[in-house]
Amino acid sequence: MPPRDSAAPPDEDTVGPQDNNSLVAVADYGAVGAGLDALERSTSDTGATTADRLRRIARSVLPPIVAIVVLIAIWQALWAAAFWPEYQLPSPSAVGSELWSDITSGAVFGQLWVSVHRAVFGFLIGVVIATPLGLLLAKVRLVRAAIGPLLSGLQSLPSVAWVPAAILWFGITPGAIYFVVLLGSVPSIANGLVSGIDQIPPILPRVGKVLGAGRLSGARHILLPAALPGYLAGLKQGWAFSWRSLMAAELIANSPQLGQGLGQYLENGRDLSDMPTVMAAIILILFVGIGIDVLIFRPLERWVLHSRGLTGMT
Amino acid sequence: MTATLEHRVSKPIVEPAVRLTSVHKSFGKGTRSVAALAGVDLRVAPGEFVCLIGASGCGKTTLLNLVAGLDSVTSGELVRNTSRPAVMFQEAALMPWLTATRNVELALRLGGVGRADRRRRTIDLLELVRLTGVGDKRPHELSGGMRQRVALARALACTVDPSSDTNDSDLPALLLMDEPFSALDAITRDVLQAELLRVWEATKTAVLFVTHDVREAVRLGQRVVLLSSRPGRVVQEWDVADGSPAAEAATVEEINVRLREVISSHAAA
Repeated sequence: MPPRDSAAPPDEDTVGPQDNNSLVAVADYGAVGAGLDALERSTSDTGATTADRLRRIARSVLPPIVAIVVLIAIWQALWAAAFWPEYQLPSPSAVGSELWSDITSGAVFGQLWVSVHRAVFGFLIGVVIATPLGLLLAKVRLVRAAIGPLLSGLQSLPSVAWVPAAILWFGITPGAIYFVVLLGSVPSIANGLVSGIDQIPPILPRVGKVLGAGRLSGARHILLPAALPGYLAGLKQGWAFSWRSLMAAELIANSPQLGQGLGQYLENGRDLSDMPTVMAAIILILFVGIGIDVLIFRPLERWVLHSRGLTGMT
Repeated sequence: MTATLEHRVSKPIVEPAVRLTSVHKSFGKGTRSVAALAGVDLRVAPGEFVCLIGASGCGKTTLLNLVAGLDSVTSGELVRNTSRPAVMFQEAALMPWLTATRNVELALRLGGVGRADRRRRTIDLLELVRLTGVGDKRPHELSGGMRQRVALARALACTVDPSSDTNDSDLPALLLMDEPFSALDAITRDVLQAELLRVWEATKTAVLFVTHDVREAVRLGQRVVLLSSRPGRVVQEWDVADGSPAAEAATVEEINVRLREVISSHAAA
């Protein structure tokens, strides 16, 4: 059946100036157009005042601070009620002084450096491996059919499961640690890029072709930038998986040659049954995870989404 | 709009910008193939404005894709004597991460225009579509009509000859438009139709304009070509340049009657 709109008689069409007084000069259309543009511009230029900005900052900073204070208060109350023995639940102040002595002695900075530089280095190698892999997966059907399911499966496999194999293959070496970190991060980053590319509206590559983009220039100027939001989500998850995998590896692959990272610090606390150390280590691990997210990924994500008119939850 | 009709050449003698000779296009293979176009003959002269109309399934978009070089003909001959064709779609389809200026520059860059030249030509093109002040806005900050004007500037950037010094190249330009205004509100559509006519006069580019709105076709085109559906072939052509308002209204009615006949014939078949 033919669609009705093509057969509509002219009187059902929208009434344009051309039917009654078709001598409306072209200049008038220019004026109408300029009016439409001006209307558009006046609605889009709304500047925020400093008070607005302060309020927005307060709204995003205050709630987490309040939540942390409440958590510590509950912890303090539970400790004061003495439900559990001291070696299981130390007081907040005991954990705080453990943290403080680590900071003043400078030991904490060494541990942070060992762990963070490993995680960042492993993550960057992961990006270098996963990006071409993701492009291949997204664009070559055979590759996707062959290893797509495997890669998705790897994403749900806890990377701690690779630690025993890594130790048997590489010994207790940095190589073993990087192996585990890569197996944690590469599937996330590659899958993020694949889903980013899958979500590109099909019209954009078509436009690229019309504009004369070849395979390579199309990937560089259209495919990759268009897939950036998905890719960034993959990078964010890839970082989280790198960090987790690193902690698992450091906990198990424990040796003086490897230097002391946060994982080893945590394991030492368990060896000595020193609960304040264990909790201080957990707080530091959490601190790094949140810090990288807030300082790097959150602003990046906000910038990417904002510049495209996509308002994400930030 | 009759004031804009004076300079138009109704019967071209020069070599056509686009010539289709019994072009066939079918999709699929063997017995299950579907013919989209069956023997289309069409000529577009340099600088001519031709509107293609027809019901859905008449292969309007297929035809445009063939001319744009996005697809190849099954049989027949398609000759294009133009610079790189400029294409506009129903959506503006601007790159959402680029500003209006960068969107136009991207087209120039992919077309091989040097860096120093790109900036200057982008300014000219945005001025042509009267968007000088909004070059640094991103697509989501623009209205639908403004986005479509950026898309027009970007499309015209394709026709730029990188070796030539001005925006006019030696080869005639060709603008292919696939229902570019159908998603806009009535007032914006009116304004953009006038804009398009102005740009067409200024650039002397040939235009092949697909629409299903007969009135739009008659208002804009010098020639209106009606395609039949499944498979598409040319049913009839109307010369609609230089018409008085009354003559124009009569032509619209005549084309509508013919279009309805063509559509009704499908129910009978």
